Amino acid sequence: MKRIEVRLSVTVVAPLLDVIREMAESLSDNLAVPLQIDDLDEVMSETWVSELQTAQNAELDLLLGMFDEEFFRDGAIQLDEDNADRVIRACAAVRLRLRSERLADMDETMLERGDVAMNELPESRRNVFMCYLFLATMQELIIQHLEMGSPKS
Amino acid sequence: MIGVEARTSVAPELATKTETQLAGIWHVIVLNDPVNLMSYVVMVLRKVFGFNDTKSRQHMLEVHEAGRSMVWSGEREPAEAYAHTLHQWHLTAVLERDETD
Repeated sequence: MKRIEVRLSVTVVAPLLDVIREMAESLSDNLAVPLQIDDLDEVMSETWVSELQTAQNAELDLLLGMFDEEFFRDGAIQLDEDNADRVIRACAAVRLRLRSERLADMDETMLERGDVAMNELPESRRNVFMCYLFLATMQELIIQHLEMGSPKS
Repeated sequence: MIGVEARTSVAPELATKTETQLAGIWHVIVLNDPVNLMSYVVMVLRKVFGFNDTKSRQHMLEVHEAGRSMVWSGEREPAEAYAHTLHQWHLTAVLERDETD
């Protein structure tokens, strides 16, 4: 099985984990993307929300669980083909929540390009934005790694 | 007895109405969001619909530029299943009935 080991700077990443934890908590009873399907009957809608919420919570637990003792010892996190999809989804959920809860007033184009003057941001905001970028980088890394092993048409 | 008769006459009518409302062709539409990475959207469309890279990129660009892209059409039940899967990947998906039939 294909494995990915990512080495990160503990000093840089550790403060971002508090931001991820805070967002994971706020997502514990909220979907990152609210359901927008009309005409679903009530029972079906409740079942969907419940299933999506359970999966989302499990994926967020998995993401947070990657930053374990090994990470704090040598900065390494381990991924494989089995958990990569769930980790990448958890990153998406946290980024969506960060955008709606903590970065809602930031310009869309600036955020998309990462074109933000970090020095001008207050420190609390800096970590939020750093976390937003860090999770995007994680996603890119995983996608690139997975693509290397899959045939392209 | 009257109550029972009333219920049996109403229920099939409601059921028929619901079936009619859900009949026909449904489109699965992916909506743009300002957060998910382009590479992520391309990967999700490949995984969920089995698109090749070129088709997946075309849909991603349509979502990015036009704000929406129709990624699948067919009966209601599989359309719901695709929408559910897209939500699992945190993409915003809606279902729209084909009004041309």
